[in-house]
Amino acid sequence: MKPTKWLTVQSESNPSLNTLPNCLTLCDLKSDNYWKLIAAEIPRDTNFRPRLKVYKGIGMISEQGLPGMPSAIESFYIEEPLPKSPIIAVAISESIYFYRNMKPYFKYTIPELNVEQLEIDIWRKLPIERPENQNDLIEQLKTIESCRLTWLSQKLCRVPKDERDSFIRQHAEYPLKRFSTIVAMKCLQKASSDYHPASCLVVATSNSDVFIIDTQSFVIIHQARVCYYQTCPSQMAVQGQFETDFRIVISSRHGNIYILHKSWLEGKEICKLNNPPIGLTLLPVDQTLIVTGMDKQLACFSKKGKRLYSTDLPDIPICMTPVHLPHFGITLVAIGLRNKRVVFFHNKSQVDEIELTEIPTAIIFGRLGQEDHVLTIFTDSGNINIKILKRTANFEGNVMENKFAMIEKGKVGGSGDNETLEIPKKTTIFVEQTIREKEHAQAIYNSFQVELWRLRLMAARETVEKIRLSDSSISDGATHAPLKLDAEVGGMGPQFRLFLSITNMCTEREISFLRILLHADQRHYLVNKSIANLPVLFPGITLKLDFDITAVLDPIDKLPPPDLTAEKAIVRVLVFKKNHAKPIIAASIGMPESESPLEN
Amino acid sequence: MGLFDKLSKILKFKKETMTILVVGLNNSGKSTIINHFKNTDDRNSITVPTVGFSIEKFQNHGVNFTALDMSGAGRYRNLWQHHFKTCQGIVYVIDSSDRMRLVVVKDELEILLKHPDLEHKRIPILFYANKMDFADALSSVKIAAALGLEKIDDKPWHISSSNAISGEGLEEGVQWLIEQIRICVIDAKKKRTRKDDN
Repeated sequence: MKPTKWLTVQSESNPSLNTLPNCLTLCDLKSDNYWKLIAAEIPRDTNFRPRLKVYKGIGMISEQGLPGMPSAIESFYIEEPLPKSPIIAVAISESIYFYRNMKPYFKYTIPELNVEQLEIDIWRKLPIERPENQNDLIEQLKTIESCRLTWLSQKLCRVPKDERDSFIRQHAEYPLKRFSTIVAMKCLQKASSDYHPASCLVVATSNSDVFIIDTQSFVIIHQARVCYYQTCPSQMAVQGQFETDFRIVISSRHGNIYILHKSWLEGKEICKLNNPPIGLTLLPVDQTLIVTGMDKQLACFSKKGKRLYSTDLPDIPICMTPVHLPHFGITLVAIGLRNKRVVFFHNKSQVDEIELTEIPTAIIFGRLGQEDHVLTIFTDSGNINIKILKRTANFEGNVMENKFAMIEKGKVGGSGDNETLEIPKKTTIFVEQTIREKEHAQAIYNSFQVELWRLRLMAARETVEKIRLSDSSISDGATHAPLKLDAEVGGMGPQFRLFLSITNMCTEREISFLRILLHADQRHYLVNKSIANLPVLFPGITLKLDFDITAVLDPIDKLPPPDLTAEKAIVRVLVFKKNHAKPIIAASIGMPESESPLEN
Repeated sequence: MGLFDKLSKILKFKKETMTILVVGLNNSGKSTIINHFKNTDDRNSITVPTVGFSIEKFQNHGVNFTALDMSGAGRYRNLWQHHFKTCQGIVYVIDSSDRMRLVVVKDELEILLKHPDLEHKRIPILFYANKMDFADALSSVKIAAALGLEKIDDKPWHISSSNAISGEGLEEGVQWLIEQIRICVIDAKKKRTRKDDN
């Protein structure tokens, strides 16, 4: 077994936490250089409220309730005199809640959207209308696409009929407001400065808006659309600095991927995947984009959307995180798979693997506690696995190993580009022989041809001799049991039927494994079945066979070919024993002259 | 000559000197422990993370100590091994409140024990389970069990809980270390004389 590169943190208590990949962040919460894990617990039972939990190592140190279901959590610093303390931002539906020292201090709400005029009119009428007429108005409300309705109207459409009146009365005074939901939130550093640079927040909403929000003045400093049409973002990755240059990559729920650069007002679609993406990350090297999808694929795109490579994953990916290893100068991608493994990819080669006992659901890599390279894996039953990268771990070897493995694979498949052929070293004998062959090429060729023809001639002579020797209707019986062959040709032509009768002349021995071969010149006669295996021939028994033979006639004048003379009009019948080259009987049967075919 | 040596030792003309190597993960309290052994005048009022290593000298129980205070930061840990040959004793400082990193402590200890310079050398190792005053600190027994110290059979080792700020538990450990280094030195001398006799 390969020595593992990861140390597993053992814990006595087993905390249980059900969370989502976006609802995790690592930060130096107390500014004591001991990094904590902050995670939102998403309760499986909707009766419980989600909670924001802080973990020191494995042990939970604080928790508090959240006002709604969070979609993303981020931690960042703002511009303030040292020592800086981190700020936690929690995105919940249309608002972002800011926490400092785990105390909420600001709630930011994204700009509201226009409410449909029809909806405003309906709500103006609803409270003054009689209850029996309200239903018609609600039916009118339902004609508007539900995503364009306010939250209040959406709820009204779902309220049972008898409760509608009280619901309307209760909410009549509320101002109609429509918000989109924050679906993704990421930090973007303002400028690459010293320690703990200040960041702003990048927010993508369900209305396909992208807002960049200043975290100190809480104003929108840049606003853009994901693309020219309406789409719903699902994942987002951000890289760069706000003041110099940055890129935002957004994937939609349908598998489209959009890119946004600094000062762009509208994103550009760079590609469309067949499957919804699971994870999306921008690599710092070459600004390439790594996407894992439901189709068990890990694909890498250039910043212009060109697919650079893709590789198959062993199973369906569930979560993904980039693993920055600055001391190696590489960035790996850690992917949690459904087959209870976490695999690490460097470019398209797998460099490491961690086996788990449960399916990983969320994964985060970064500084935790006092260790820089910690991978925190959450499993489906809520367990937290903490893996610390060993100081002595080295991925270089694996990268090389994988390259060799790929070359090997190419050899087996026979189509690898890197295939190397094994060519033995040239000896002096070989070189001399080559020179000789070059000089006397013609002589060598001629002598070879002469010998070849001589061999063929000898073989032909021997064959003719053998056939001539056994050219009789009765075999000699010296080596085999004696056989008698009678032949009779029926028909006028051009179709003939050859009747053969073979008799075992012996009194006590049966003959087995006999074969019969009909041989005729193809230009004169066509034999549709030229070989037949014979059954066992018992003594004194006569076996009758028949074969169809067609004489070849000229298609125009219906005459036999001119070279068909009487002595050439023969069909040879050869009787063999299986696995013996010498025929037992070789009979030549003279064929009668063929008549022209009967006209219909 | 031998008589003079013995005489000077009895009269403490020439003090014993011992070289010890102080290792451990970053932020475990190595520099603070050494600081505590120094004279009150020489002590640093603030301790900053050590870069590379620093050589500190102090006296304790009439012995001149030369302590190599190694940095515990991950990128400097590969410097530890360069001093394994020269040191007579090792002090391994552990932050007993950092449960998460006990695996890292164990890993580093295994690397240290497997190093060719130490593998077959009988050298005393003193473990300080530091930060014992912390509420979530593990006891020295638990740490010894977690690190698998009972498996070290070719080297004398001792673990003592300590608090480097108040100095609690430090003296006990150092006394043990002095005794063990003396034993090792005598053993080494005996071996040498035996060799000379042969």
